[in-house]
Amino acid sequence: MTLTLLVQSVLAGLTNGFVYGLIGLGIAVVFRGARIINAMQGDLALIGSVVAYLIAVSLGLPMILGFLLGVVAGGVTGFLVDRLMIRPTAKRRGTEDSFLLVTLGGAFAVSATVLLYFGRDSYVLPGIGGNAMVDVFDAAMRVHAIWLIVISTGVVLALRWFYAKTAIGQAMLAASIDPEGALTLGINVGWMRTMTLALGGLVGGLAGVLVAPLINIQYEMGLLLTLKGFAAAILGGLTSPFGAIFGGVILGLVEALAVVTISSGYKDVVAMTLLIAIMIAMPQGLFGRRGRLGG
Amino acid sequence: MTVSPDTQRARAWTWAITAAGLVVWAALPWFLSRGTIDILVFAGLYTIAGLGVSFLLGQCGIVSLAQSGFYGIGAYAAAYGTTALGLPIPVGIIAGMVVSGAIAAAVGIPVLRLSGHFLALATLALAIIAHVLFLELEWLTGGTLGIGGIPRIALFGFTFSTPFRFYYLVWPCAFALILFYTLLLNSRTGIALRAMRDAPAAAAVAGIPITSLKVRIFVLSAAVGSLAGSLFAHYVSFISVDSFAIDRAISFLLIAVLGGVRSIPGTIAGALFVTAAPNYLSRLGDIHPILFAVALIVAVIFLPGGFGGFVSSTWRRLTAGPRPSATGGP
Repeated sequence: MTLTLLVQSVLAGLTNGFVYGLIGLGIAVVFRGARIINAMQGDLALIGSVVAYLIAVSLGLPMILGFLLGVVAGGVTGFLVDRLMIRPTAKRRGTEDSFLLVTLGGAFAVSATVLLYFGRDSYVLPGIGGNAMVDVFDAAMRVHAIWLIVISTGVVLALRWFYAKTAIGQAMLAASIDPEGALTLGINVGWMRTMTLALGGLVGGLAGVLVAPLINIQYEMGLLLTLKGFAAAILGGLTSPFGAIFGGVILGLVEALAVVTISSGYKDVVAMTLLIAIMIAMPQGLFGRRGRLGG
Repeated sequence: MTVSPDTQRARAWTWAITAAGLVVWAALPWFLSRGTIDILVFAGLYTIAGLGVSFLLGQCGIVSLAQSGFYGIGAYAAAYGTTALGLPIPVGIIAGMVVSGAIAAAVGIPVLRLSGHFLALATLALAIIAHVLFLELEWLTGGTLGIGGIPRIALFGFTFSTPFRFYYLVWPCAFALILFYTLLLNSRTGIALRAMRDAPAAAAVAGIPITSLKVRIFVLSAAVGSLAGSLFAHYVSFISVDSFAIDRAISFLLIAVLGGVRSIPGTIAGALFVTAAPNYLSRLGDIHPILFAVALIVAVIFLPGGFGGFVSSTWRRLTAGPRPSATGGP
């Protein structure tokens, strides 16, 4: 194997890894704040990318406006998911599985809606810096991919600050770790869950506008993104934003190495086997901080 | 053991309703179109596969998304066994069940130690691995081209070649499995399972071998899924990898949850919903997948016990009648 090929595959793995990580980030945010696995996370990204496409390409408005409204659309959807699905389920004392299933139903609904209005075609969103490339050890990398990595890192740092330093972030954590205790302190637990879902929606929408230039926007893309994101989040311990990105990068790199060493057809087999092995051997994720529910 | 008049009455009613249901079941195909019977055949196939998932979830608390993999193994065993190796049909079906059971045992021993979301994800990962292998092992599965020319099942010179005929093969299998699972639930094993589900620590102290019991039920579920897959292959006579993707695994889980995981016959209702609802909704135009998704959300929110749970709670209210108020209640 030549060095260039190796570098190229590592770069591809890194880029994919941040894509998985961004989806995993949303899953981690929602799990941390609401103890719910949101199976719609990939479809929130689909919504973000479709809205960005409609505004920036179909209507021809400025790219930045498309990006912003794509992110906002994700957040609004997250809010609606809580009000229309999570809240009624919680009211009827739904189990862990019913939350998973109800969001899975939401994922089908989003995918079916995109199918109805967009059809089976796939679309590509122009990236930041267009299609420009940079050379890294003779291997090529899209400028957009570098922006993806920078912005994801920025979001992780921002989330860290948000949970550690702001009153509302602390209240969201408290509401999730000890709902009854939070209630006695006057924290509106129901509202905190709504905010958590909306925050997860914003992260999902952001993931959508950032990944759309790299992968095709297509009505079926949500579920596979959710699965890879879920894997990334679990590798990272399920509640840690930093862990989700890190888990995503590990997953992306392992996949990329499987492609060059075994065959591209088996990359999902390698990634999923690794996932099962890590869950069995290291159930707390790669960082092994047992019992720290707040991260 | 004394049986109260109320229980006796409830039992009589259960028998009467079961008998009436069987009569309706036997008469139904004579009044329906070929397309509708085809849907009912698929409902029967999905009932069989769904039973395994439902029992596993309801009695062991194991969320299995791996059923599409075992369904696929059954289908490919039937297809490869009969077309490439020229084996008799029952040998192919049994081989599929044995292979599925063996894989379930080998994988189950490490994986079933996980719990909650981890276990759900692990089984989902297994389904993904199975799907990729079905796609890549072309010598065995035909890859995307699939395998055609799978023979129909024939019994005493009678070939189950049409939906109408196959209906009378698949549903008796489903009913037999429902009976089997019901007997299992009421056996010593069933009691051990309930103890394990509701009080794992106490069950372990009582000497119930928790891990081995879970693995055995998982193996059973895999064999049942494989049987459904084999029947599917002999029914449609052409299979390709598209039939064993992740959405199939999700359908099987939906069947279990919609039917109600604590209710074994409820699985039929779940399977009917998953097979028939998209078809009837499709008459409303392209909007039908959205309506299916909304129906699913509404069913999960408003029927937490599934259709089976809804029926049995209503049933209890009707048969128990005024008793709680008369005795003052607890």
